[in-house]
Amino acid sequence: MTTARATEERPEQGPAERGGLSLKAKLAIALGVYLLVAIVLYAIFGSDGRNEEFQPQDEFKLDPWIELKIGSLDLSFNKAVLYLLIACALTAGTMLLISKRMQQRPNRTQTIIEGAYDLTYNNIAKGNMPEDAAAKWFPFVATLFFFIWFSNMIGYLPLPVNDHETVDIVGIEFPAFALYAATANLSIPLVLTLTVFFLYQAEGIRRHGLVKYFKGWLPAGVSGAAAVPIFVIEVISQFVRIISLSVRLFANILAGHLLILFMGGGLAVLLGIAALGWITLPVAIAFFIFEVGLIATLQAFIFATLTSIYFGEATAGGH
Amino acid sequence: MDLFGDIASFLLIAQEGGGEEDGGGNFLVSPNVGLMIWTLLAFGVTLYLLNKLAFPRIAEALDRRRRAIDESIDQAERTKREADELLEEYRARLREAREQAEDIVVRARRAADALADQSKAAANRQREELMAATRREIEAETRRALDEIRKEVANLTVAATEKVTRKSLTPDDHRRLIEEALGEVDFSALAGDGDGSPRAGERESR
Repeated sequence: MTTARATEERPEQGPAERGGLSLKAKLAIALGVYLLVAIVLYAIFGSDGRNEEFQPQDEFKLDPWIELKIGSLDLSFNKAVLYLLIACALTAGTMLLISKRMQQRPNRTQTIIEGAYDLTYNNIAKGNMPEDAAAKWFPFVATLFFFIWFSNMIGYLPLPVNDHETVDIVGIEFPAFALYAATANLSIPLVLTLTVFFLYQAEGIRRHGLVKYFKGWLPAGVSGAAAVPIFVIEVISQFVRIISLSVRLFANILAGHLLILFMGGGLAVLLGIAALGWITLPVAIAFFIFEVGLIATLQAFIFATLTSIYFGEATAGGH
Repeated sequence: MDLFGDIASFLLIAQEGGGEEDGGGNFLVSPNVGLMIWTLLAFGVTLYLLNKLAFPRIAEALDRRRRAIDESIDQAERTKREADELLEEYRARLREAREQAEDIVVRARRAADALADQSKAAANRQREELMAATRREIEAETRRALDEIRKEVANLTVAATEKVTRKSLTPDDHRRLIEEALGEVDFSALAGDGDGSPRAGERESR
């Protein structure tokens, strides 16, 4: 999504400091100035009418940058692939760099990474899986956490990846800065979820044997004729996990990006009212902070934790 | 992994189902197999690197630190125990030393008292001896003086009697006269005077 507008308007934001006034008066003046600017902007620019050209969803559209097709398989390099590679590089790079320089007395970065490692190991993996399963599947679960976390976080960095809009700098057309997240594309959470799904089913079958594992899906004490419909429900609930786990992550990140997009100027462009951009900007900033500060980490945590819980259920053998 | 092949074929079917992606925002939710494969690649590489290189090192470093902390705690406990023991020992020694010191003081005081008593007794004894000796001397002196007076009185009595009677006296007369004279003279005052009075003693000692 385009942030050019948002960054343009930012310096105007924030009322001037006034000494010797009560907090209430300051807030009232700030609000007054804020509304006044909105009215002035509306008076100057007015309304251009609805903008039919601007398609907000195109911000998430993936146009192939490098065409790459193997048979019917489209492996074209695009924006999402770039974000995946950045996430991969950042996750692996950070962890390798930190792990290479593990100090007996940690500095701040190391402390943070150690805290995250501890969170994934003790809280996410050990807290939800039996000891031996936790030891075996911890790297997988932790990698999920870190990979999704980095994917989410780079989604809030404005990067020059907008292939619809360009900025002309000294005669060269550069792509405009935009926010994009790989996890805001369903394919990516979905394939991670499918990997989780198949791996934990395989692990359950490997541990308990096919029959015993599927018997384990039945709640304790259910037998006889009642077992059949309940088993069907359990099977459905297993497959619903694929949707719930992937869509939760995808929808959260997409919604956050859409909100930031609309509030950070998208709505103003869509409706052709420039003053609206000024009004919605603080909301965009608030959502941005909310997304970066909470949602990005929370969703990574939830994804990894649910993965652990599924593995825990499969390995412990029953509900 | 053949698992990935399974997923890919599953997704291929899925994509064929909802393929027309250009209308509206459909492309947001229609799975893109190519992207999925890219995802698996990126995730797989990350997993491999973290699992092979990063996590073992971090775990090892954390274990090492935990061990170091354990050791430090053990060491600290050991040191504390040693220090406690040492402190106890020093306290005991100090107590002992204080007791000894008190003992020494008590003994010294006792010795000093004994010495003082002794010297006082010795001084008393000496003084008494001296006084006894003085008294004895005074008595002897007094006796000698009395004897001399007696002799003198006897002589005077004889001489005076001879002068009065103009005749020499026989030894019997002498004895009689002397005894008479002496009987008349009262020596009790002299004897009482010379009988170890402090004055006489004092004068003697000077």
